[in-house]
Amino acid sequence: MSSEPIERRVSYLGDRLRASRCKICGKEYFEVRDYCGNCGRKSYNKMDNADLFYEKGKLELCTLIDEPTNKFRKLERFVYGIVSFHNGKIRVPARVTDQLLNKSDFDLSSLEGREVTPRFRRRYSVGKSEVVPTISLAFTLADEYYPHQEYKVIQPTKDSELPGIVGYGVYSSRFRIKDEGIERAVPFIDEDSITAAVEAGKLALIHSGLDNSWVGKVYTGSESNPYAVKPIASKVAQVLQLGEQDGDVQGVDAVDTEFACKAASSMFKDACALVSYPRSDINYAMVIGADNSQAAPRGCPGGELDAFVGYGGAAFIFGKKDVIAEVESWYSCTSDTPDFWRRDGEPYPMHGGRFTGDPAYNKHVRKAASKMMEKCNMKASDFAYFVPHQPNPSFPVRIAKELGFKEEQFMPAIQMTKFGNTYSGASLVGLAAILDIAKPDDHILIASYGSGAGSDAYVLRVTSQILDKRKHQKINVKFLAENPFIEFVDYATYRRLKQGM
Amino acid sequence: MQNRPVIVAVGRTKFGEHYGKEPEKLIEEAWLAASNECNLERKNLETCYMSDYFLLITNKLGLEEGFLSELTELHVPMEVTRSFSAALKTACHAIQAGVYSTVLVGGIEKMTDRLDKIRDDLMLLEDPWSYYAGGTPEANHELLLRAYIKKHCINGENLEKLYNALAQVAIKNHANGAKNPYAQYQRKISLENVLSSRKAVNKALGLFDYAPITDGATALILTSEEVAKKMDVTPVYIYGYDSATDYLDYSARDELSHFVAAQIAMKKALKTSKLNAWDINLWEVNDQSTMMELVSLEDLGYCASGTAWKSIAESSPNSKGCYEINGKELYVNMDGGLKADGNPLGAAGGAQIYEIFRQLTGKADQRQVTIDGTTPKYGGSLEFEGFGTKAYVNILGRE
Repeated sequence: MSSEPIERRVSYLGDRLRASRCKICGKEYFEVRDYCGNCGRKSYNKMDNADLFYEKGKLELCTLIDEPTNKFRKLERFVYGIVSFHNGKIRVPARVTDQLLNKSDFDLSSLEGREVTPRFRRRYSVGKSEVVPTISLAFTLADEYYPHQEYKVIQPTKDSELPGIVGYGVYSSRFRIKDEGIERAVPFIDEDSITAAVEAGKLALIHSGLDNSWVGKVYTGSESNPYAVKPIASKVAQVLQLGEQDGDVQGVDAVDTEFACKAASSMFKDACALVSYPRSDINYAMVIGADNSQAAPRGCPGGELDAFVGYGGAAFIFGKKDVIAEVESWYSCTSDTPDFWRRDGEPYPMHGGRFTGDPAYNKHVRKAASKMMEKCNMKASDFAYFVPHQPNPSFPVRIAKELGFKEEQFMPAIQMTKFGNTYSGASLVGLAAILDIAKPDDHILIASYGSGAGSDAYVLRVTSQILDKRKHQKINVKFLAENPFIEFVDYATYRRLKQGM
Repeated sequence: MQNRPVIVAVGRTKFGEHYGKEPEKLIEEAWLAASNECNLERKNLETCYMSDYFLLITNKLGLEEGFLSELTELHVPMEVTRSFSAALKTACHAIQAGVYSTVLVGGIEKMTDRLDKIRDDLMLLEDPWSYYAGGTPEANHELLLRAYIKKHCINGENLEKLYNALAQVAIKNHANGAKNPYAQYQRKISLENVLSSRKAVNKALGLFDYAPITDGATALILTSEEVAKKMDVTPVYIYGYDSATDYLDYSARDELSHFVAAQIAMKKALKTSKLNAWDINLWEVNDQSTMMELVSLEDLGYCASGTAWKSIAESSPNSKGCYEINGKELYVNMDGGLKADGNPLGAAGGAQIYEIFRQLTGKADQRQVTIDGTTPKYGGSLEFEGFGTKAYVNILGRE
């Protein structure tokens, strides 16, 4: 579809599965309705929101599509059917996603009746110059890789002197490639950095228990945005309905940031400052780092990265109420060091080979982490955990040891061996893994790294609130890493899926 | 019904692929055939109602009325609808209202010109949200079948019988198509053909369960009774016609295993014609898939809900090519239906009327149906737009 207005309308309804319910007769509709077809004029202005985005549906009927229409060709084969919500009050057409249907003896009837969760995905293939179409009429089985989680708003009660993290979410795909001792996440063909950012943000809202309208700002850091110009953050804001909704506009500030792998970590301090500013009416700010990490195929220039790149991201919400980890201090450093770059219009990044180590990663991470400890008058042993940026399995280990950390302090944070290097999401996923296990009063040191180059270090102190919030989070780093529904793919499938629709 | 409209002549092209012909050339051919049959001149036409479902998309042809005006040198009012039955309905209204007394009704579709994108176009027009979710035209038919199986708890041996009944629909329609010189596919098929086409795709419905992509045009001349009396023709009267509408989005409909629009249109058309369903033993139904023909037998009221597969299974094979339902004969899609005759969307309804007209006037050659030794008195047609979104029922009859 090359019509921008049509695209806008379809994704506005379809991304969030906006629905309405008549207050008079209770009839429900997929789509926003001003009045009910049953009740007519008298129901005008008496329609409730009944969005299906966080709901669980039931796959009523299904069939296998192995000769898709042109725009769905890249999906090759998929299950398609009808999903009902609210005990059949609403029925929508549905594509079942996250399935590689290689086997011919596929039992369709075993899927009928199963519970499913709507997922925000790319809709179909379009030309490279067109708007990227998205939709949430893609579903996955609710009892498999991505279980359904209830989104329940909890009124925050406890004020915190310092701003900090109030909730977080981490997302990575169901598919993995395993080689050279590491597992790396592979996006399904309908996933990209936009869908990962929305997923991470959605899971962060669920974990925090915050109402989506309370989030006043969203920063999205990524280096694999499918667009050179057009933010991911606007999609996140609209799909997650961040800020007060006014008509079809969200009362939220949304912006994309870019600084290689530290595009997101850099904004933690900005989010903290924003929610602390006395005249700010923004109480919560969301920072997302997500990437479908790009790499040229093996054997091509820049193809060395192909052994390490992953897919996924994390989102952190900052605020001053019910804080789970206070941000005690920060330090950032920057120098103009071209160790890794991607020119505009180029599909894959280039890197400076052996110069990505000492004069780049090591120098900046070492500087930021040691200055941070110096500034807080703390030493390595004062921290329960250290989270370094993790572009490959060796860099973070070497620098952590050099800084005086022991394996038990930093190894739990090294997640790139499970998900690959998730670029802007890499240090964030590491931090999420630590927050999954941290105890109250633990101190955490994080040092991100962004090529180009710079590093952001933060000192976080975990609070007792973390234990309460952990209860309503099924999907955490460990859950994603050790999920029994993970499917491993070969190199050719990995490249095909990563290319996307 | 007052001021009964009368069909005085019908015409059509062969259905199939017309690679070298513009759409206007096809409708010209159909009109010439019809006008020749009743010896009518262009200047006698007071208005034209034409139908095409999506020439605008397949041939980038908008305002085809202008092309027709140029072709016929006629400056009469011309209107375009999406289906032949819709055009016929408008023409009937005009005749009944006494506005016009001689009307050309035509239908045209040129689908093969856009073969590479046709399924995307069809699906997007038929049901956009299903298209956005990845649906294909065939998927909706498969879901209809799944819904039917689940609703009526058909399993085991009965499920095999149902699948075989669907195959019998295709076999019968191809056998009929073999006797139709205008049909797209004029050859018989075997049970083995149908089953192996299903096996090839590992599905309940295969290539032989679906109507093809077709080019073609149809036309008829509709007049008032007064005008018809002055002509040297065997008139066929429109006894009743009506239509009904359902949601575009198939998944959102209350009923997934039937077409409510067809049920309503049938009820209303029977009421105006003052006939009972079993007064009509001859039907042309919209078999976009074999499943659709099966469901139509129920929607039109000939079989109770959930039983058509049994009736089909029990009455096939039948040397007369008719279904036997509770001891009564029902002749369906004697021209081969959309399955064998072809399915040029905007013209397909015209082919249905063409066949009923030929049957009622005793001119259906080797396809001629006789009921109790005589040509049938009444015949009906059921046409859909979209996947059951709109349903039209026409009831035709001799004096």
